[in-house]
Amino acid sequence: MLLCVSVLRQAQDDKGEMPRDLWEEMLDALDAVSPLIDGVRPGLAFLDMHGIAGDARAHVTQARRALARFECDVRCGVAKNKIAAQAAAHLADGSVCEPGAERALLSPLPLALLEIDPATIERLRLLGIERLGELARLPHGPFVRRFGPAAASWHELASGVDRRPFVPRGHAVAIEASIFGEGRASDEAQVFFALRMLLARICADLDGCGKRAGALHLEIELEDAATQDFHVPLAMPTAHERTMFEMLRAKLEGLTFEAAIVGVRLAARQLEEGGEAQTLFRTDDLDPQRVAVTIARLEAALGGNVARARTREAHLLEERFRYEPFVLRQPFDYAQGDTVKPFDSAQPFDSAQDDKPFDYAQPFDSAQDDTVKPFDYAQGDTVKPFDSAQGDKRSELVPQLRLHEVREVPVQLRGGEPAVVDRQAVRQCAGPWRIAERSHSDCAEGRDEYDVVLESGTFARIYRQGSHWYFRGIYE
Amino acid sequence: MAALAAPQPCHKEEFELLKARLSAKPPSPPLGGLLPTNIPELDRLLDGGLPAGAVTTLEGEIGRWSLAAGLVAGATRKGLVAILDDGGLYPPALAQAGARLERVLVVPVRRAIAMARAADILLRSRICRLVLVPAMAVRDAIWTRLATLAHRSGAILIVVAARANAALSAAAGVRLHCALERAVVHGRRGLWGSIAGFELSVGVRKHRHNVVGGTVRIRAEHAEMLDAALR
Repeated sequence: MLLCVSVLRQAQDDKGEMPRDLWEEMLDALDAVSPLIDGVRPGLAFLDMHGIAGDARAHVTQARRALARFECDVRCGVAKNKIAAQAAAHLADGSVCEPGAERALLSPLPLALLEIDPATIERLRLLGIERLGELARLPHGPFVRRFGPAAASWHELASGVDRRPFVPRGHAVAIEASIFGEGRASDEAQVFFALRMLLARICADLDGCGKRAGALHLEIELEDAATQDFHVPLAMPTAHERTMFEMLRAKLEGLTFEAAIVGVRLAARQLEEGGEAQTLFRTDDLDPQRVAVTIARLEAALGGNVARARTREAHLLEERFRYEPFVLRQPFDYAQGDTVKPFDSAQPFDSAQDDKPFDYAQPFDSAQDDTVKPFDYAQGDTVKPFDSAQGDKRSELVPQLRLHEVREVPVQLRGGEPAVVDRQAVRQCAGPWRIAERSHSDCAEGRDEYDVVLESGTFARIYRQGSHWYFRGIYE
Repeated sequence: MAALAAPQPCHKEEFELLKARLSAKPPSPPLGGLLPTNIPELDRLLDGGLPAGAVTTLEGEIGRWSLAAGLVAGATRKGLVAILDDGGLYPPALAQAGARLERVLVVPVRRAIAMARAADILLRSRICRLVLVPAMAVRDAIWTRLATLAHRSGAILIVVAARANAALSAAAGVRLHCALERAVVHGRRGLWGSIAGFELSVGVRKHRHNVVGGTVRIRAEHAEMLDAALR
């Protein structure tokens, strides 16, 4: 027998759904009633009560007692299958559907119980079908031909036949290992030896339950009772001992502790099912784990963060970019905006997404159109031979500005523009360009920027703010 | 034991001719492959590109970072590039040169010893095809060590320096020197003009696998001098 537990009123998130964490807590509480729970969605669960002592009434009482501390409105129903148990809970709290009475129980209930989309319910309503009994009485073949393959299961469900599988939820697995009270470690070799031992245990456990870890949590206890925690994210979930050890070692490189280490606890976090993801064809031979280990080593050795730059629109030079932690993107990561996207047949074609939709109402006027121009020999058009030297525009370099520490420089003006900068004559000058941090009306924030070529051959960027001149960088 | 017969005069001439021909032929190309610079003229001068597994220096008062940005742009199409940043890096200009910034590891370093350490870690890890470092004042032995690591890993270590010292010159496999030819100016002076860039002459001062000599003229230019100040 299955026990359906339906939670009706509970705290809801922005999307109108029960918070996932709260629902998981409720399922954990229901573990006391049955070890096999199918949490279909937040708010609806089925408990397999086969072989559990007590009758249906007792099971309902147990479930209510388990959820009492959540102070929510719970409805329970007991039946042979899921749809009947759900119907029993829907009909009245604590209802029990005897075997063989499923169809009769379902008959007066509305179509919404099948959880089919509102548009289909409306179509059925227009055909005069509003109850499950009416749906069950329809001839199976014509109904399925009209409403598609999904209609076959609706028809069966309305008749009290439920072939949906019971999928028991996985229980949270805690994989961790620790060493405490077995002496004290004052040099790194001892710590690494202990870590290797713990990792061997953890990887064996991961292998045993067919999981891989996305991160490690390391807790180090010192002789003076202080503890230090380290969160070590892995580039890709793995159960590979060597990769984990490299990451841990890189994280600990360069660290010193105030006292000797007396205990180490290591736990695997972000557990996922299955082995490591492998791709058959790679665009490059980058190993994400090796990149992650190198970044960890660099950060441990240098103390700073290894970053990647991202450009953005801004007025001031120094605000046109920012740094963020470096994360290696997997090849063809569509979520990150890679250009080649798989064709999604379910996605309707949106012509508005096109750059320039074709306007059929607009008559084609070749005279106005500058893209399609007839070839006119009389106007002196000639066929231009392909110039391979002109074809490769990327062969030219782009001048690179090197930012220098901003410093005030003496500038002499002639005719309103810089003539001598830092005791060097200006050969060429371009500017000023008014650059304001906020708006053009905010003169206090504005600054006038100039590019100058000095007699030494230096190409510099300088700016004036108020009555002072500053040196910003050199084009190299 | 029979004495060796003295070479005949005609054989000696042939031997000398063969020796002269072999000496004139440039040494064989490096085993690790070449990284094209994406500048056709320079690639022709370098016989295909920069040799992998070696130190390359980009020298000169001006244009060395522009040349480096071009190399970074080419390398990011195929893999990761690491840049050790002493605070002078301006990423928007690098992006305009065609570099894919999501494939550029920026490692902030301020001290010479930290730079050497970071370059060491990066070369040993073999994750980057190209490692770019600004000039630094380090012990001579460090350049030798980094050159050896570059050789082992097959990566290219590019050192950007106004002028390479003796130790760096000795460790480098290729030395390129940039010199200003002329400034490229659009429009007139002042508000109605812009300094669009410069024209460089790039010469090969040293090449372990090729004949040294020859220069090419390369233009480093951008319509709005890289930062679109008029926007």
